[in-house]
Amino acid sequence: MSAVPPPAISVEGLTKDFLLSVRGYRVRAVDDLTLQVPAGQVFGLLGPNGSGKSTTIKVVLGLIEPTLGRTAIFGVRSAEVRSRLNVGYLPENPNFHRFLSGRELVTFYARVCGVDRARLRDRVDEVIEWVGLKDAASRRLSTYSKGMLQRIGLAQAVVHDPRLLILDEPTAGVDPVGSAEIGELILRLKAQGKTVVLSSHLLAQVEDLCDRIAILNRGRLVLEGGVDDLVTEKGRDALIVRGLDASALGDLRGWLDGRGAELVAVEKPRTTLDRIFREHVAERMQAADAPTAPGPGTEGRPR
Amino acid sequence: MSAPGTVSFSLRRIGVIAELTVLEAVRQRLFGVLLVLAAGMIAGAQLLREFNFGSSELKFITDFGFGAVTLFGTILAVVTAAQLFFAEIENRTALTLLAKPVFRAEFVLGKFAGVAAVLALFVGVTTGVLVAVLWMREQSLMASVPEAFERGRLVQYGSVVAFGALQWLKFSVIAALTLVIAGFANTNLYSVVISFLVVLICHLQYLAHESWRRMASGVGRTAAMLLAAVFPNFQMFNVGDRVAAGQAIDPVVLGGSAAYGALYLAVFLALAVYVFRRREI
Ligand SMILES: Nc1ncnc2c1ncn2[C@@H]1O[C@H](COP(=O)(O)OP(=O)(O)O)[C@@H](O)[C@H]1O
Ligand SMILES: [Mg+2]
Repeated sequence: MSAVPPPAISVEGLTKDFLLSVRGYRVRAVDDLTLQVPAGQVFGLLGPNGSGKSTTIKVVLGLIEPTLGRTAIFGVRSAEVRSRLNVGYLPENPNFHRFLSGRELVTFYARVCGVDRARLRDRVDEVIEWVGLKDAASRRLSTYSKGMLQRIGLAQAVVHDPRLLILDEPTAGVDPVGSAEIGELILRLKAQGKTVVLSSHLLAQVEDLCDRIAILNRGRLVLEGGVDDLVTEKGRDALIVRGLDASALGDLRGWLDGRGAELVAVEKPRTTLDRIFREHVAERMQAADAPTAPGPGTEGRPR
Repeated sequence: MSAPGTVSFSLRRIGVIAELTVLEAVRQRLFGVLLVLAAGMIAGAQLLREFNFGSSELKFITDFGFGAVTLFGTILAVVTAAQLFFAEIENRTALTLLAKPVFRAEFVLGKFAGVAAVLALFVGVTTGVLVAVLWMREQSLMASVPEAFERGRLVQYGSVVAFGALQWLKFSVIAALTLVIAGFANTNLYSVVISFLVVLICHLQYLAHESWRRMASGVGRTAAMLLAAVFPNFQMFNVGDRVAAGQAIDPVVLGGSAAYGALYLAVFLALAVYVFRRREI
């Protein structure tokens, strides 16, 4: 055993070409990517459509073979089946066996993952409740909405209590309220000490969730770092003041000048449309006692 | 159970995947339609009696029943195997499944086992209906024309059941073969069409077999020999005529056919696993 625990995911020099025709025309989906996902963090894999996020994830999960390079999960090569013992995966645009009910689906995956028979029922009910689908658990998946599919997908991903979760665009096509609920679940996973890898092309959304991000473009890594480091503007601070009139503002400006600081801008703080939508719609849903509201034990929502 | 941190090949997982496959097939319309059609045709065979009473009527029912089992069973084997395989690929459910600690071989064998179970259900029900129809018809014939039954019952019920079992084996070989083709193919339709073609070749393969014996040498002979070795000879399972004629199946012939089928089954399953392991999903 080495002293340093291996990273949750390591990707070394990964290149993946897809063969497009028999004449050998290829498209390079991932280009010499090197990346490490430290354990215990929420990691955002960002980039425009077609930048190679899903392909990277599939190689890491051993679903497709790399053209060059290697990948590992907790130090175990992706080619080995045992590398997937500690992973839960929610594919992009998830689609599950439509002829099953939500509970049947989660039970199936729990059995595939070898969840103890004695605990099976309890565990399945537990995760279905956790994602807020208790009332829909016996409905066929063909009747589920997009947001519900994402959540049942999350339930099957966590059912065997893996240490790492890989979520490919978990909020794509989901409305802001649903997205916020999924965001909340991700933060709860992080609070439980799980590593979460999250891919998205909606940057604003993941900013609130991720500790670290990597940005891909055309299969190449263009930027990687801690979110706080990346988004805080160094050497600048913002004050939010109530009851500031024009003369006080003049005084403040003079006072700051005297200390060698400069008042760069005075603006009205803005909330986001996203937040307004969420607050209004969520209020109404709670008033209607919507079955999709997240369960108890969730203080606050993501910033 | 395997030690923590390791995964070993597991029959239990194959069983779980097979169970899901059966559930999917049974909840689909196709299975019910083919089952009802086949059983209905067999049950209705006795209504088509513009024949003289006696052994020839029983022979007709048997022939007709075997034909229905073979025809609909073959369709069911090809279509369900291809359909259930591509449902997993096209709906991307295979992604979720194979991202779990599951061997690709377990996936393929699980799919196969599920299809084989569905086929067993089909053969069981249709053969059961056939036996029941034959029995009832024989009872009433024995009452109305006793002189035809001086030496006891005419229908070899054991052989009818053996025929069913042998057909099930043949359908399983067809399903395995379809899985090999589906492993290469890009679409469901393509693999269904190719599989039916191959099934046809397997039925006519004995012609190639006979021709290479007669051929002197050369490319033609080699090709015919290859054809005869690669494709199983489905005439090996064709014991229906003798049974319908009221003859018992020789246990040695039966055992030989079963061994022949099992051998091809093993080879096709190994191929299906091999092809699927290399597939990008
Ligand atoms: N199976 C495939 N065959 C051919 N090209 C593919 C395949 N999968 C992905 N690609 C191509 O690889 C590139 C990266 O795709 P993807 O990883 O899905 O991007 P992202 O998830 O970032 O949107 C795209 O140009 C896409 O068209
Ligand atoms: Mg993608």
